[in-house]
Amino acid sequence: MTTLVTGASGFLGGALVERLLVAGERDVRCLLRVGSSRLRLEALARAYPGARIELFTGGLTGTSDAAAALAGVDLVYHLAAGMSGAAADMFLNTVVTSKNLLTALVALPRPPKVVLVSSFGVYGAAELPRGALIDESAPTEQHPERRDSYSQAKLRQEKLFWDYRKQHGFPLSVLRPGVIYGPGGTAISSRVGLALAGRFLYIGGDNILPLSQVDNCAAAMALVGSRPETDGQIYNVVDDDLPTCRQFLDRYQTQVRRLKTLPIPYPVMRALSWAAERYSRFSRGQLPAVFTPYRTATTWGGNRFDNRKLKALGWRPTVSTDEGLRLAFAHFRAAGSG
Amino acid sequence: MAIVGCGKIADGHVEEIRKLPELATIVGVCDRELLMAEQLAMRFALPRFFDSFDALLDSERPDVVHVTTPPQSHVALAKQALAAGCHVYVEKPFALDQAGAKEVLDLAAAVGRKVTVGYLSYFEPPALALRQMVARGDLGTPVHVESFYGYDLQGGFGKALLGDADHWVHRLPGKLFQNIIDHMLNKIVEFVTDDAPQVHAFASSLRSVRTGDVRDQLPDELRVVIRGAKVTGYGTFSSHIRPLAQFVRVYGTRNIAHVDYVARTVTLASSPRLPSAVGRLVPAFEQGLAHFSAGLHNVGSFAKSDFHFFAGMNHLISSFYKSILDGGDAPIPARDILRIAGLMDEIFRQTSGWNGRAT
Repeated sequence: MTTLVTGASGFLGGALVERLLVAGERDVRCLLRVGSSRLRLEALARAYPGARIELFTGGLTGTSDAAAALAGVDLVYHLAAGMSGAAADMFLNTVVTSKNLLTALVALPRPPKVVLVSSFGVYGAAELPRGALIDESAPTEQHPERRDSYSQAKLRQEKLFWDYRKQHGFPLSVLRPGVIYGPGGTAISSRVGLALAGRFLYIGGDNILPLSQVDNCAAAMALVGSRPETDGQIYNVVDDDLPTCRQFLDRYQTQVRRLKTLPIPYPVMRALSWAAERYSRFSRGQLPAVFTPYRTATTWGGNRFDNRKLKALGWRPTVSTDEGLRLAFAHFRAAGSG
Repeated sequence: MAIVGCGKIADGHVEEIRKLPELATIVGVCDRELLMAEQLAMRFALPRFFDSFDALLDSERPDVVHVTTPPQSHVALAKQALAAGCHVYVEKPFALDQAGAKEVLDLAAAVGRKVTVGYLSYFEPPALALRQMVARGDLGTPVHVESFYGYDLQGGFGKALLGDADHWVHRLPGKLFQNIIDHMLNKIVEFVTDDAPQVHAFASSLRSVRTGDVRDQLPDELRVVIRGAKVTGYGTFSSHIRPLAQFVRVYGTRNIAHVDYVARTVTLASSPRLPSAVGRLVPAFEQGLAHFSAGLHNVGSFAKSDFHFFAGMNHLISSFYKSILDGGDAPIPARDILRIAGLMDEIFRQTSGWNGRAT
């Protein structure tokens, strides 16, 4: 069986390739853009000499590389996405690239199964009450124009995949991970707070932080990819024993480095966001409305998160949250980062 | 108004057009990738989006079309819009070469429609202040102009083109320079008014990373010397000099003006009015005071919500629309568009043999 992983050079992509090899996959094709780091994948190739790890150089800005990368493939993990940049760039690198992949995929006589990595960002959390449980049945965002560009792109990407599946009938499973973390990842999620001018604006308070340790997330993906009953299903991916943002930050400061924190309670953040949005409108965009009450409610409103559907499939986090944080923080401390 | 090309710069056009509700309404946007048109329409609540320019022109019949596509399609789209009876705003670079620019301008003249190009820096507040200084004679007679344009290759656009060997920038005759140096040259052309001044250009690259493909052939440093009959100019494009700076210095027979497009300040360097050592003490304080005064002016502008990132684009769009409504001259003379296109042709001709070493 040949498996294609797009975005294989990324933080989650590398972990997924390793997980697939551990699980016994022996033919993995990694789609890499020109200039992407190959170090981890090359190391994996050396560690698994019996496996065929093909580093396929190409992009998804057109359909030709996608078609070539899909040749002979039985299963696709689609991780490639824009992670930063202007809204148009994010859309181009997440949604248009997905369309190119799908165009090539549905042209195959027998399209392979696809496992798409979506995001918690697709949920319409702003319109849920504080403390509401977010499971797979929670409503998706109904007002994408009010959201950040990353969430807009992921929402449209997911819809695109479901539309194509409906039209062409290939097997599709979607995973919606929370905050993916681990050694080499992002040190502190924006759900905890934001660094600004040498200070850390600590906004998350006692909200539950929906962490997904990178190896646990990769294992969830591999499991979903391997099980036929996951076709047409959506799975949240979060770990057990989730900490609050306060617990996370306390531990970070103890185990990595002290931060000059400025706590901002949620009601204050709502008021500041309201003022920022009003000022942006009043000044006709002299300062962009980076913060709005809607986005603040989405990010810092505070929800609970559910992983029972994934567990019903047999998934269990193999790295506990306690151990995952210890490993991640040790990495950040050693790297002097974060 | 309609917009064709829904990439990053289209956001700026939508935002600035919407600040002029008394002049314009956006009726539709278009991109050959429908998803890109859709995302722009979704984010700005625009009424219609298309993946066919023909369909947009037929169904919405806009008065003005903004062409914000990659440069390779500017001429064809501008001509199509003109043929449909629209006035046209074309993002820089106006065309791939002077011949293409002339085709568009000739057609505009033939069909009686107006054309402009996105030379935003012409209309940035500091540029407007400089123009007033020159008109008042504060500088005396301009003798030389120096235009510096710093560029960040680690920014979003730079990362995109360095991360993608198939990026459209690599297919431009002048590569990265062609997409940027209008902003450097148009400040020189304002003072070097010759039709075809002498040009000497030097290109190089200071990047150490090699990818083994077309990206290695992308120069990132450019120096240009321009010699007109009365005024000379230097142009510097640099991707490596820090801090990032964008400025123009105009050297006159009385004073030197320094226009900083990043800090948005305009200051004058004058000859000492006092003798000897005392005369050398005073200018530093005069310079400090000039910067302080310019800073205060900016604070005042900010307080009045008149310190916008795209102030130059807003002024240009507004002037262009007003010229359409009142029948006046378009804000940027066709001759300037042609002269800048001609300068770029010559610069790229001289630097086309760049092979990793300065040519």
